[in-house]
Amino acid sequence: MDKLLNEISSKCSAAYDINCDVEYDCSVPDNLKRVSGCALPSVSENDLLRHFTNLSRKNYALSAAFYPLGSCTMKHNPLINEKIAKINAFTAIHPYQPEKTMQGVLEIMYNLQNDLCKISGMDYFTLQPAAGAHGEFTGLLIIARYFKSIKQKRTKIIVPDSAHGTNPASAAFAGFETVSLKSEPDGSISPEKFKELLSSDVAAVMLTVPNTLGVFEKNICEIAKLSRENGTLLYYDGANLNALMGIARPADMGFDVMHINLHKTFSTPHGGGGPGAGPVGVKSFLEPFLPVPRVEIKNSKYVLNYKKPKTIGRVKSFLGNFPIILRAYCYIKSLGAAGLKNASMQAVLNANYMLAKLKDKINVPAGARCMHEFVLAPKSALQNGVRTLDVAKRLLDHGYYAPTVYFPLIVEEAIMIEPTETESKNTLDEFIEVLSSIILEESAHDPQKVKDAPVKTPVKRLNEVEAARKPILKWQL
Amino acid sequence: MQYTHNNEEDRRKMLEAVGVKDAEELFDVIPAQLRTAFGGFSSDGFSSDGLTEQELLRFFEETALKNKVLTSFRGAGIYDHFIASLVGEVISRSEFSTAYTPYQAEASQGTLQAIFEYQSMICALTGLDASNASLYDGACAAAEAVLLALRVSAKKKILISSALHPQYIKTVQTYLENSDAEISFVNVSSPGFIEKNSLDASLDDSVAAVVIQSPNFYGIIEDMRSLAQSAKTKNALFISVVNPISLSLFCAPGEYGADIAVGEGQSLGIPMSAGGATLGFMSVRKGLEWKMPGRIVGQTVDKEGKRGFVLTLQSREQHIRREKATSNICTNASLNALAACAYLSGWGQDGFKKLGEVNISKARYAFNKIKNLDGFCAKFENAVFFNEFVIETRKDAKKIENALLKRGILGPLDLSEYNPELKNCLLFCVTEQRTKKQIDELAEILDKV
Repeated sequence: MDKLLNEISSKCSAAYDINCDVEYDCSVPDNLKRVSGCALPSVSENDLLRHFTNLSRKNYALSAAFYPLGSCTMKHNPLINEKIAKINAFTAIHPYQPEKTMQGVLEIMYNLQNDLCKISGMDYFTLQPAAGAHGEFTGLLIIARYFKSIKQKRTKIIVPDSAHGTNPASAAFAGFETVSLKSEPDGSISPEKFKELLSSDVAAVMLTVPNTLGVFEKNICEIAKLSRENGTLLYYDGANLNALMGIARPADMGFDVMHINLHKTFSTPHGGGGPGAGPVGVKSFLEPFLPVPRVEIKNSKYVLNYKKPKTIGRVKSFLGNFPIILRAYCYIKSLGAAGLKNASMQAVLNANYMLAKLKDKINVPAGARCMHEFVLAPKSALQNGVRTLDVAKRLLDHGYYAPTVYFPLIVEEAIMIEPTETESKNTLDEFIEVLSSIILEESAHDPQKVKDAPVKTPVKRLNEVEAARKPILKWQL
Repeated sequence: MQYTHNNEEDRRKMLEAVGVKDAEELFDVIPAQLRTAFGGFSSDGFSSDGLTEQELLRFFEETALKNKVLTSFRGAGIYDHFIASLVGEVISRSEFSTAYTPYQAEASQGTLQAIFEYQSMICALTGLDASNASLYDGACAAAEAVLLALRVSAKKKILISSALHPQYIKTVQTYLENSDAEISFVNVSSPGFIEKNSLDASLDDSVAAVVIQSPNFYGIIEDMRSLAQSAKTKNALFISVVNPISLSLFCAPGEYGADIAVGEGQSLGIPMSAGGATLGFMSVRKGLEWKMPGRIVGQTVDKEGKRGFVLTLQSREQHIRREKATSNICTNASLNALAACAYLSGWGQDGFKKLGEVNISKARYAFNKIKNLDGFCAKFENAVFFNEFVIETRKDAKKIENALLKRGILGPLDLSEYNPELKNCLLFCVTEQRTKKQIDELAEILDKV
């Protein structure tokens, strides 16, 4: 049951076959021909189905249990989205079909762009970027192009030390120098410290609102004002937008560019690490720089517009991750404006409820209230050398996926919890009970049990150090 | 539809525990002037109420009808291949689709082992030593390969085939926009491929990497063995952009000493879906794995010595290295890598070769048929192609497209829009999906236009 495909492969039993209704004509000149074999496994359909079904059972998934992974917004993935994504007249469309034969695709893209504008307050959206980090990269290239167009040399991006790792990586990727801003203990930004870093060569500041400790940036208006006065643009990392739908809009806070993770806020399944989608929204003055093609409407037909002389170009092939776009649009239509607001309110209530139940027992660095997620600093509560990593692994034994751990980096031994709006009070109560008992009771009375965890998973604790020291990255005999 | 739990009693208890009367109070930290924005939220066209599942299905089925499902003779980067039932069955399992990136390895062995198997098969296909867990698509994979080469070589110049897919060229240009790297092109000659002489003439010691696609945008197989040889003599890295199914017949990047192989994995069991979401694959020769972008899964053991899998070489990645990471990538195309894994594991070595043979046989059948029609001829008569080929015509391309559309056929791509030198040239694609009857019908319509 634990074998690899190559180990169950047998010479004669491949699952698939194909016939040819024309005469075989497949000779290839020697200099172009493959000479080595191509060691693909050969497995029957029956054995393959069992192989993959058994593999799937070794995964913890949102469809099976609570997945309180902070900053990842693991909300329920509605089943109707999956059904719609399988409609043949969506899946069988070639991207180079004439526009008139793919009006359904373009209409959905156009409408999602508009809906995202309304939710965020931005003026224009592109759906091309394939993930959140890809959106960041796109947004930063737009910022670079903008400053080039007004002939200003700005080379720096300010990123708080509480930000997701993708922020500084995207800034570097887009050719900028990153300036790290030390955030306050609750993850917020001090306008004074911010001002000190605001030199004339700062192109933009990237902020996550609410921040990664789950706190709304109370000084956002002042930060925006300082940025504006310095000619610096404001970038909104949309990873935490789930707290704010229908409540407040990034554009009104003063942000000029943003990305949205459709696989977080808009409920598309994460797929074990994608595909997702990272649409980018901008204020009007940045519209000329968006990637092409733009999905537009002309004489009541949807069209692809490539004629954008100031565009940054393309960040991927074709139009964007359409099946993800489709699911996100379905989600928005299923909730409507009132439902979206309700979702954010419930997400914030759920997080506050958990925080209220935990805050008197375990240290919380960011205060007694939060937005959609919160961070615990359990170091002082943990005893006998039990660490956050052990707590995470012990949660697996209780059937839960672990929260995000050791992030944000500014909190020692951090445990970051995001319940999302789709969990019931009952689920939250059970989890709170288990988490409290691991941290407060087991670490005191049965620490070895926590340190030995997990024991109920398909494998025991894995040796990651050895994996990196002597990398085995593919099957070998 | 609401996906929240609307139990008033629970809600009351939760509010009480938090110490607020209403959930709205929890947002009091947001400055009042920002809250007023809410009024604009449900403005025109944005319905306030949600739809039920029944209404949603009806709405999307109606919207889907505005698309036309066509019999495709068009490729150019996205291909209509048959997808066995097993693939859909595997990726539809919610245990795979609703899991997150496998950070907690012990609870993610399904995803991790599947990616490890995917990496093994990408290595087998390309003949290289290490593969990552996936990138967004072929274009992004090509751009990431170029960035990898720049990191490794410390040189600045990139030499790219002018017959690389135009959208890949654009993507590479965008990715390099703010770097000090310099892109130049090596042109295909009149037979439709790159001649060794012209590559030699463009190469010097300042070139970090050479990027060649095969089959190239015009469907033609490049002589990768001799081109890679040329790159080697000038110490330039060789980046192959390949069609994975063509590797069933044509030489693998590992066989000619390529340093990096990348490509679009959509052909491997992923529907066309208007061009995305797809899968970018990347594999490298030994020694470059520490410089690779993206997630990588490695084999290890648990504390009882049992085999298991983890994300590894993570010190390359953004969540550890931040601005010094080898890439900013986080979410990639994992579920599509799983599709590719299920797709590749069902053919076996001989079956996969046969798939390639059926593709090339049908494409050659169509090629011979069409080039002999009155008004049509082969553009690159002596070039070797896989499942795409270029035909020159004196008939009007627009008329051809419309005549075919009327019969439910998506005809060839008009190359004049992509390369002014290829006026009146059409790029056809024939995969195993097209029947002899469909090819004959295509030829018949072309003949009558």
